[in-house]
Amino acid sequence: MSPFVMRYGHFVDSRQAVIDEVTAVFMPEKRSYTGLAQAEIFCHGGRQVVTLILQEVLASGAKAAEPGEFTRLAFMSGRIDLARAEAVAEIVAANTEHSYSAARDHLLGTYTQHISDIRGKLIGLIAEIEASVDFPEEDISPDEKNTLLESAQQLADEIDRLMETYRGGKIVNEGYKIAIAGRPNAGKSSLFNQLLKQERALVTPTPGTTRDYLSEWIDLEGFAVNIIDTAGLRKAGGTIEKAGQTSAKKIIAECDLVIWMIDLTQRKWREQLFGDIKMLGHNNIISAQNKIDLVDDVADLKAGSGLPEMVATSCLTGRGIKGLKKVIVQRINEKMPDLTSGVMVTSARHRQKLAAARKALKSARQKIKLDESPELTAFDLRQAASALDEITGKVYNEDILKEIFSRFCIGK
Amino acid sequence: MDYDVIIVGGGHAGVEAALAAVRMGRKAAIVTMDRHKLALMSCNPAIGGIAKSHVVKEVDALGGLMGLAADATGIQFRRLNLSRGAAVWSTRVQADRSHYARFISEYVADIIGVDVIESLAGAILTENGKVAGVRTEDGVTITGKTVIICSGTFLGGLIHIGTKQIKAGRRGEKAAYRLSDSLKELGFEVGRLKTGTPPRIDGDSIDFSKCEIQPGHEPIPFFSHRSDRQPFEQTPCYLTYTTDRTKEIVSANQHLSAIFSGQIKSIGPRYCPSIEDKFHRFADKDRHQIFLEPEGNGTNEVYPNGFATSLPEDVQYDAIRTVTGLENVRITQPGYAIEYDYCPAFQVKPSLETRRVRGLFFAGQINGTSGYEEAAGQGLMAGINAVLYIEKEEPFVLDRSQAYIGVMIDDLTTRSTTEPYRLFTSRAEYRLAMREDNARDRLNRFAQKYGLVPEDEYQAFEKLQIQTEEAVRHFKEVRVKVSDLDHRGDRFKKVDSISLEKLLKQPGLTINEALPLIARFNGDIDFTREALERAVISIQYRGYVAKQEREIAKFLKMESEVIPDDFNFATLAGLKQEAKDKFIHFRPGSLGQAGRIEGVTPGDISVLSIHLLRHKRTSK
Repeated sequence: MSPFVMRYGHFVDSRQAVIDEVTAVFMPEKRSYTGLAQAEIFCHGGRQVVTLILQEVLASGAKAAEPGEFTRLAFMSGRIDLARAEAVAEIVAANTEHSYSAARDHLLGTYTQHISDIRGKLIGLIAEIEASVDFPEEDISPDEKNTLLESAQQLADEIDRLMETYRGGKIVNEGYKIAIAGRPNAGKSSLFNQLLKQERALVTPTPGTTRDYLSEWIDLEGFAVNIIDTAGLRKAGGTIEKAGQTSAKKIIAECDLVIWMIDLTQRKWREQLFGDIKMLGHNNIISAQNKIDLVDDVADLKAGSGLPEMVATSCLTGRGIKGLKKVIVQRINEKMPDLTSGVMVTSARHRQKLAAARKALKSARQKIKLDESPELTAFDLRQAASALDEITGKVYNEDILKEIFSRFCIGK
Repeated sequence: MDYDVIIVGGGHAGVEAALAAVRMGRKAAIVTMDRHKLALMSCNPAIGGIAKSHVVKEVDALGGLMGLAADATGIQFRRLNLSRGAAVWSTRVQADRSHYARFISEYVADIIGVDVIESLAGAILTENGKVAGVRTEDGVTITGKTVIICSGTFLGGLIHIGTKQIKAGRRGEKAAYRLSDSLKELGFEVGRLKTGTPPRIDGDSIDFSKCEIQPGHEPIPFFSHRSDRQPFEQTPCYLTYTTDRTKEIVSANQHLSAIFSGQIKSIGPRYCPSIEDKFHRFADKDRHQIFLEPEGNGTNEVYPNGFATSLPEDVQYDAIRTVTGLENVRITQPGYAIEYDYCPAFQVKPSLETRRVRGLFFAGQINGTSGYEEAAGQGLMAGINAVLYIEKEEPFVLDRSQAYIGVMIDDLTTRSTTEPYRLFTSRAEYRLAMREDNARDRLNRFAQKYGLVPEDEYQAFEKLQIQTEEAVRHFKEVRVKVSDLDHRGDRFKKVDSISLEKLLKQPGLTINEALPLIARFNGDIDFTREALERAVISIQYRGYVAKQEREIAKFLKMESEVIPDDFNFATLAGLKQEAKDKFIHFRPGSLGQAGRIEGVTPGDISVLSIHLLRHKRTSK
């Protein structure tokens, strides 16, 4: 069977009885997804047909793949590196436009390439330092102190920029969390339902736990947004319950954004607001002035100093909800890096490795600055390199020597 | 004639192999063409240098001769990288070439238990897959339980000077061609490597006044603790440079060089290029430095280090006379390139025993290395392992965290040879923990275990270890008034006094600055210089060594995942063919080693580890 040619035929069982008419294709070793020789059979969609074919295949010695097994095989056969294997998992889990495009870039290797570029520069810097250690009598001139410091700083900056994308990456990958909070009867649940009604609901990427609040996922302009109706902040003896006493407080603390619902029909809402905002202790709040349909006088609705941005809404009529969503998307976008660059850290593991590399670079810079011995600087830089290698899963060593020989004329 | 260990070749590897075997109580024979030329330095007259000196110290710690011979016959001693940390200090000795060979030849002649047989080995004899001895080219059979091949550049040696080709192992000395055939007949894969050497010149014809003098270092940094040589007046080396005219001549005649004409197909070392290669590859560099190294005190011959070449003799003459100070120089022997046979080292185990023939060992250039020190290190290990093989004991293998010798042999057995291999400190992952100063701390227990050093030496070293510890304690106790310090006290403005230890720990403090400081605050205490140095180094590196020890622990965990000898890589499911081929080729002995094989991915290692686990379970 020639590879990559789709063939038509009949799938027959061990007694030569036809099960279905099918098409099939063969992919040879190294040229398939897994890197192993692979065949695919396309049959009709009926449940019974699929079951019968599967039974035959399994009976002749095949093993059913476990979730993610194909990608694991692709990684093990060396067809894709670790970062790209992780990207496949992300792409499968991606449920919005943004999370999909970040995952796609990871899969295409743009991200790996970016890390490799940084690593390449780092190896260059190590070579400069190692050359002076291993060839002290050679007539070579490795970079001067200032150039070394500058190179190290540039690398640190590049890693910083990459790490900064993590906030955005986290939003893209794990979603953006919004808590809807407010005093009783401010309309929290109405807003929750309005948002759910208007936007496409998502299958939750993270399984829910038992809770005393409502939580749903929606797709808001390509972002996976988790809205939570806290419904928990109650008045107790004239003040809202103290911090940390309710699960609502905990949710609020973990949220990226809080929508604080105000009941405009309450005369004292403005006086209450100062204290309530202070109590929330969150740095990203939007106030929804709800029940605008029940208030005639809209003159004093503007936010004062020290108060969050105000959006007038009516969860009953739907008025102002569009404006509120616009403000929310604005807030999300503020945290997003430039998505067109295509490189974004979405995994906490990667962020941790980048941080380790960053720390080692900082320590190396300090050593260069204080004229410490170069083998110690090299020690730090090698730790930075191996941290980066843990992202892509590569091993180096000979690379440094290769770099030295290509840069300097060695051999007295 | 029946020996325990027969060594083919009397170079740096062969001598250490023979002596190690004898120290372990075995009878050895060295088969070599000239008993007076043992350990004759074929190329530059120096022992040690970066990373190589670590090996010399390790050989010394394991009872070897190289360090002692260099000390006894050295005419100039230097310590490279002294302004850096102790991990990368490297001792280098300019030795008197003929004195060095004489010293070793006489030393070996004095040892009962080593016979030097003047002959050219022609064939390796085997019996039932085991080695049985060697037959010389003139037909004499020498039987032995083990054979170590240390053939150097003699194995199929071919000298190139311009278009001229001479079959020789060294200039004027016969090469071993039949031995090479014998290896092929036994089924060994034989490859070819290249190296080169500069012309030798007459010192009387050099104008040294135009060159920069390079004196030796004081106090003289001797290699060996066994050495009893007293201070002496050192002979200087000189540094000079090529000129624009050199570049013109060399570049114009490049096509006549054997390495550019296509006459030489094998690969030479990147770190030791010929002068024509230097001008070619680094065309933007106008001049190259040339070190003028005296070949000894009793000769006028000088070795112009940096001028290796395979250009025709007349061009060599024209070119070298354009080097500053060498305008009227006389060449006493032309430079040449030499090609020789080697056996890619995947064919040996980490013990250096060949996989193909039991009891047959390879050491030195036959394994694809270059350098006297690399050869000596392998020779020593092969000698020890030949004896352990006879005694049916476990082989002695050093790992990458124990010694540069371990790094070297591990590199050799897990990578393909692309050039003659030499050591660099950057090859050692655990460089900060493997220093010249602690070679004996690292290896003494092995020396004692295998009986390589006399008991009194071992005890003397224990004394030094105790003294070092005492010095460290003492540095902690001595208080230094901050007001007594110059700029070094700047960091401690907030306190009145600090411990001497804290002062010594300051970043960037070199040993030459540290020792006077110690003397100033601590003159009354009578520690040896060696103990003081060791104490300072241990204080300065303590934090790093602790970090490296954590890395070493991780490394050892992978090394301890042993892959059994009979493990069948060919049938492993889920492993890509390339990885299988690599594993079958290099036959890694542990999971750690498997991971270091070039081209093997972390994925391959995961698959392998799963199979290993399964194998362990089923074989229980």
